[in-house]
Amino acid sequence: MDLVAGRVYADERRPIRHIDGFLLLVTAILLLLGFFLIYSATNQTLDQDRLDPFLRVNKQMVTAAMGVVLILVMATFDYRFLKVYAGFIYAGVVVTLLLVRVPFLGSSAAGAQRWFEVGGFQITPSEFAKLGLIVMLAASLSEMRHSLPTIQDVIRLCGVVLLPLLLVFTQPDIGTSIVIVAIAAGMFLVAGMSGRHLAALVVICLVLIAAAFQLGVIKEYQLDRIRAFIDRENTPADVRYNLDQAEIAVGSGGLFGQGYLHGRQTTLDYVPEQHTDFIFTVAGEEFGFVGAVFVLTLFALLLWRSIRIAFLSKDPFGTYLATGVAIMFAVQMFVNIGMVIGIMPITGIPLPFLSYGGSSMLASCIGVGILLNVHMRRFK
Amino acid sequence: MERSGSRLKILAFVVAFMFVALSTRLWFLQVLAGPQHDRDARDNSLRTVATDALRGDILDRDGRRLVHNRISLEVRIKRDELGDEAEATLAHLSEILGVPAQELGEELDTKLYYSYQPVPVAEFVPEQVYFKVREEPEKFQGVEVVEQSVRSYPQGPLAAHLVGWVGQINAQEIDDPLFAGYGPSDLVGKAGIEATYERWLRGEPGEERFLVNSDGEVLREFDPRPAEPGHDLRLSLDLNVQRIVEDELVTGLQRARTVFDASTGRNLAANAGAVVVLDPNTGGIVAMASWPTFRPSWFVKGLSPEQDHYLNASKAAPSLSRATQITYAPGSAFKPFVALAALKEGRATMGGYYDCPAEYVHPGDESGTIFHNWDGVGAGSLSIAQGLKVSCDTQYYKWGSDFYFLDAQTNRQELQRRVKQWGFGQPSDVDLPAEAAGTVPDRKYVTEHRARYPDGWIPGIDILLAIGSGEMKATPLQVAQAYAALASGKLCRPHLVSRIEDGAGRVAKKIGGRCRRVPYTEAELNYIREALRSVTTGGTASSVFASCSLDVAGKTGTAERPPFQDTSWFAGIVPAERPEYVVVATVEQGGFGAETAAPIVRNIMSRIYRAPCEGPALGEAED
Repeated sequence: MDLVAGRVYADERRPIRHIDGFLLLVTAILLLLGFFLIYSATNQTLDQDRLDPFLRVNKQMVTAAMGVVLILVMATFDYRFLKVYAGFIYAGVVVTLLLVRVPFLGSSAAGAQRWFEVGGFQITPSEFAKLGLIVMLAASLSEMRHSLPTIQDVIRLCGVVLLPLLLVFTQPDIGTSIVIVAIAAGMFLVAGMSGRHLAALVVICLVLIAAAFQLGVIKEYQLDRIRAFIDRENTPADVRYNLDQAEIAVGSGGLFGQGYLHGRQTTLDYVPEQHTDFIFTVAGEEFGFVGAVFVLTLFALLLWRSIRIAFLSKDPFGTYLATGVAIMFAVQMFVNIGMVIGIMPITGIPLPFLSYGGSSMLASCIGVGILLNVHMRRFK
Repeated sequence: MERSGSRLKILAFVVAFMFVALSTRLWFLQVLAGPQHDRDARDNSLRTVATDALRGDILDRDGRRLVHNRISLEVRIKRDELGDEAEATLAHLSEILGVPAQELGEELDTKLYYSYQPVPVAEFVPEQVYFKVREEPEKFQGVEVVEQSVRSYPQGPLAAHLVGWVGQINAQEIDDPLFAGYGPSDLVGKAGIEATYERWLRGEPGEERFLVNSDGEVLREFDPRPAEPGHDLRLSLDLNVQRIVEDELVTGLQRARTVFDASTGRNLAANAGAVVVLDPNTGGIVAMASWPTFRPSWFVKGLSPEQDHYLNASKAAPSLSRATQITYAPGSAFKPFVALAALKEGRATMGGYYDCPAEYVHPGDESGTIFHNWDGVGAGSLSIAQGLKVSCDTQYYKWGSDFYFLDAQTNRQELQRRVKQWGFGQPSDVDLPAEAAGTVPDRKYVTEHRARYPDGWIPGIDILLAIGSGEMKATPLQVAQAYAALASGKLCRPHLVSRIEDGAGRVAKKIGGRCRRVPYTEAELNYIREALRSVTTGGTASSVFASCSLDVAGKTGTAERPPFQDTSWFAGIVPAERPEYVVVATVEQGGFGAETAAPIVRNIMSRIYRAPCEGPALGEAED
């Protein structure tokens, strides 16, 4: 017997019996793979600087351990508590996003103010803001009085999205902004928003983007990245250096790869930001097309499980939560890998579970925890 | 909720599309374009640096060094080791080099070298720079003073035209398949045997290969391939003779300038000249000089503006070798070969006598053209030998006419064919670059130069050819080659390099003269040799050789070259009995052959054989 949210479960309905083991397995494989990729990307440079070559991968393992704890925690209590506290969570998100902009509290690099420095760890609130927004949107969507969202609903929901979006966008963090917009759009779609409203939102989005360009909110380096993406040939070599090196790395992997720890681009440190945003290049170069497709397959399985959970959930809140998390994973994966192999412009989005970085890892783990939770308690 | 289900399907489709897009792109990137990216990755990290091979030496026939290498100290800066103290280091360096620090900074700002390659900022620095840099390494971080080999000329300006010079490869050369495998900063032979034997002298550059990371730091050095030094050239040149020849050429020119030339009303200009000394038995060049000349060492540090102007823009054109690159009408020095042609073609016999009138008119010519004997006086009836001795022109005019008629009858240009047997009108294939081929005016030549021959093929062409005038042109080397053939009975390819040796003195390649017999009997050749001997004993050059104990067969030559003064020639064979040397001298605007060229040849022979000639070296105004 198990008391959750004031409900008594019959034995066969005990949540633990309905844990999605396959999702857990895929997550575990991704985490392990991440350690190998990060080790390959970092050991040479660390060794050269006379540091422990395992420094980075050890830190990532610690984070991953914390992530596993978070998965378990997030799966334990009934996810419907989240609906109850959605307002608080949302408020917390907005407040931290504001606090990170306070000069002495938040840290910045290259003009972007994005994270808190806490005891050697960087906490990036925008990573968690995505999750907070998913919870808030799921709660709002599931509480709508009409089966179809009215224009008032749409405006209210847009307001909910716009507040954190603006805070993230002006950090500036265009990558996360894209993810937030995609999450919102996807959740609106699944919640049954009419085609007309969706179209109107798309138009408004385009107008806002145009305005951002006009008002100079977009920084020069961001413009450069977009130019480099659109007109690669005429881009100065230093601007497209990342793109070129990443492509050479992935491309030189061939069908079967150069072999683990034998990638030339990887071992000689030719790919900037390789252990964070460009971690996929390690898989591409050292394991080749076969390895790259293996990574894609892991993500495909992850997304299949996520969307399946959204399907299976009898509770709209659960469905929307799972949808939001699924979109978060899908968009991050697509934009990140797409950028590495040159079909998307460069935006600083980490690859879930694989990129080095604490906040991204923890946020992804929380996402998996939520998915597991919805799956376990899908029967109402 | 049903709506959610169908909308989730849309979402699933979008996600599926993402995977399709990513895998397609990966297939293209990794499988289709994989090999190219693989090469790119290799190029990224592999750096190859060529190490120079030591250029081969150039030695005379006895192994005396004409060109070798010496060490120059070069200051180089390794940019990646300069560190934070770059400005201070440059300031220290500027102090000891005496070069403004700003200039040094500009030198460093170059794209010619990779960041891991040291950039040379100063050459030929004194040794104390090396010691200062070594004493205080902390002041000169990233600075190195290294030994560089440069060309050195222990004999000074001697044999400048033969040796030539080396210089940095130019844009045109680097595209030439001849220079495949050369780098943009490589030195190549530009003239002389430095150019002809470039491939042998250069050696095989070594190669150092490095694995570098994205910062340009060298992570690993692969086994270097050491440079193989170039081969040495052993010349047929005799430095002693070369020294005599250059000395006598200059002396002869200076002396000529004191001589008054009645026909132009001023002293002889004697502005340029050449001497060739050949070994008639092998075709080996024993000495070869051209004046005006230059110093090959000028090219080592780069030409000064004055030197550059003098070499490349002045009228003197000192970089041209008058011995091989300029052609002159040989004048009477050409007659022995015409006489032999007349003999061979039945226009004359060794026992016959031929009129030597003061003037000659081509039979049937009504244009009024009169061909004069050189002294305007007739000499009665002379044998071929007597004609050569006094250098009668009118005899030869007649033979010119005869060949013209023979040609008209048979359509065979026997005179032209015969003189070409001695090497005239074609490159001698000497191992020196940009050799001039000379001209034997024949029908083909006349057709190709219509502007010069408005009347087409006329008797005057053969008539003037018979005395080595008109459009007949030869280099001094070609004349020497022909006289060497006359002396030995073999026409040999003249050559400067007799063998190519590796660093240990082993012969890598022997270069022979490739001789072939000339189609004349020993009797015919001896007849002409004897005639030429009489030139120095009782003929046009007798006053020059009168006081000498040398046995010389030779011929003077004086070629008109309006509006300039005459070209002075002398070709001599010594000893006439058993020829060891053929010496040919040519002096531009030098007047009569006996006046300027013959004394030069006499003095050279006299010094080679240590057989002093008495009396003044001045010859008479004789052809």
